[in-house]
Amino acid sequence: MRTILVVDDEFGVADVLAAALEDEGYRVNTAANGREALTRLGEEVPDLVISDFMMPVMDGPAMAHAIREAGHADLPIIMMSAMPEAAVRQRFDGYFGFLRKPFRIHVAADLVARALGEQPNPFT
Amino acid sequence: MTLEAQDNELARLSSGVPGLDKILQGGFLEGGIYIIQGDPGSGKTIFANQVCFSHLAAGGRAVYATLLSESHSRLLQQLRTMAFFDETALPDRMVYLSALNALEDKGLSGLLDLLRREIIARSATMLIVDGFLAVEASSSSEREFKKFVHELQSHAISAGCTVFLLTNGANRPARPERTMVDGILTLSRRDYEARSERELEVMKLRASGYLGGRHAYDIGSRGLTVYPRLEAHFSRPSRNEEFSAERLSTGVPSLDTLMGGGIPGSSTTVVFGAPGTGKTTLGLHWAASGPADEPTLFFGFFESPPRLLHKADTLGLPLRERVEKGLTEILWQPATEQNFDELGVRLLDAVDRLGARRVVVDGLGGFTGSTPSSSRISPYFAALSNELRVRGLATLYTAESRQVTSAPVEMPIDNISSLVENLLFFRFVELHSELRRLVSVIKMRDGDFDATLREFKISAEGLQVMSSRFSAEGLMTGIAHEPR
Repeated sequence: MRTILVVDDEFGVADVLAAALEDEGYRVNTAANGREALTRLGEEVPDLVISDFMMPVMDGPAMAHAIREAGHADLPIIMMSAMPEAAVRQRFDGYFGFLRKPFRIHVAADLVARALGEQPNPFT
Repeated sequence: MTLEAQDNELARLSSGVPGLDKILQGGFLEGGIYIIQGDPGSGKTIFANQVCFSHLAAGGRAVYATLLSESHSRLLQQLRTMAFFDETALPDRMVYLSALNALEDKGLSGLLDLLRREIIARSATMLIVDGFLAVEASSSSEREFKKFVHELQSHAISAGCTVFLLTNGANRPARPERTMVDGILTLSRRDYEARSERELEVMKLRASGYLGGRHAYDIGSRGLTVYPRLEAHFSRPSRNEEFSAERLSTGVPSLDTLMGGGIPGSSTTVVFGAPGTGKTTLGLHWAASGPADEPTLFFGFFESPPRLLHKADTLGLPLRERVEKGLTEILWQPATEQNFDELGVRLLDAVDRLGARRVVVDGLGGFTGSTPSSSRISPYFAALSNELRVRGLATLYTAESRQVTSAPVEMPIDNISSLVENLLFFRFVELHSELRRLVSVIKMRDGDFDATLREFKISAEGLQVMSSRFSAEGLMTGIAHEPR
């Protein structure tokens, strides 16, 4: 079973996304900020990281750079934010895809499937 | 403590909310901690964001921490409709963070630690905690809660960070945090029959005076605009009065004669009378007759500018020419649902912008009808009249009586005699099955006037007062007859 790490300081977003991805057959872990995500990553390397941009303690771009510096060059990262993608790209441009909040869950599911090299589920 | 340090402690921070700094008498204290309380929908979040973005524009940095269920994406969607919102400030100078995880996982100490770290890491000079009620709900005791507020306050002071705590429950009994913070502002909605008004009230403000009582505010695409209660804002006139003994022509020479030379400069005049007697016509005369170096404002409620210009044309008055030259401005306020204090602000702003020396307020009833509180009318107009006077304006109000011909007549405002210096009365009298117009000067400031009743006519030559006194009996009944 593929594992996804969802990183977001907003409970609502992290929980809803996690539940939807679990329905798609993934195992999902969550973290409330970048530092917490790095700790999780040290325990278990997921197949995909989906991260918010603005978070307390450590934000998404800082976490993404740290992931790359830790040697996870090929670990796909999806960034998500209510801000325009350009603002995110200014800080970190090595992500697989971008989700502009608020997003429809099927859009997220499609992007996740593509990031993991799978066929998107036509029924979601 | 050095003088500089003392000055720094009392440095003020503009709120960025139009009208609010007047109520706060300068703004918030830098490094202060404030509670903004109000029911859902009262505009707390917009208020806080407006204050934040104003602070950013002045070079500050802010952290907006939420303890709410509302998502940041939804919040940003709403804020994008606001003129003050500047997306380029995100995330370097302004950041939205959820602090709910920290609160739920580690309690108040975890939340405090997170806020403290974020203030330092981002060099924040402003912190908003939106959803502060959750902090209170999460505290195990009053002591723990007070300790949290106290420590947050200490961190804020040491970092020079101004803090706003947004919470619901404006009508709750006194809570411990209320004694600790530097200020409390309440946003509420108040119903007046079918009408509802948003109101802001300062409940507490340390180290500063403030305008007490409730002040109206509205929320538009520019955020909140607060209208300080005019009689509180101008409880004393904004400047000293320079007495003027000059007389200004009404534009009707025969009426000037009756008034002992015209309307005194820097004074307040009311022309009072039944509908159709010619009050607006007199206002048009006055607005059209000023010298070329005396801009005039016609602040009307009932007739639109095209109608007024047409009326002036038919009276042979050069009002259109003055308007085209920018010497007279007609500012129309539809007599619909308007904010009483906003009207006063519009009037005062317009006379300042024009540099006007004379103003016509056509339709006192349009003004008074905009307040749901009749007890405010008298002090409001006392303050407004004083303010117009010290700004060097001669003001002519028209006021309508309900009665067409009969007596006694009711004045439109209590104590009107103490509020205005000059009072004219226009009335209809029926004589020989014909309605005749009469004018009488009831009161004039500092000067003789002709108190006799005079008939006047309105024609293509405008308003003209007859030179001979009107002689008839039974005038005060409204139905006159020739003397026996």
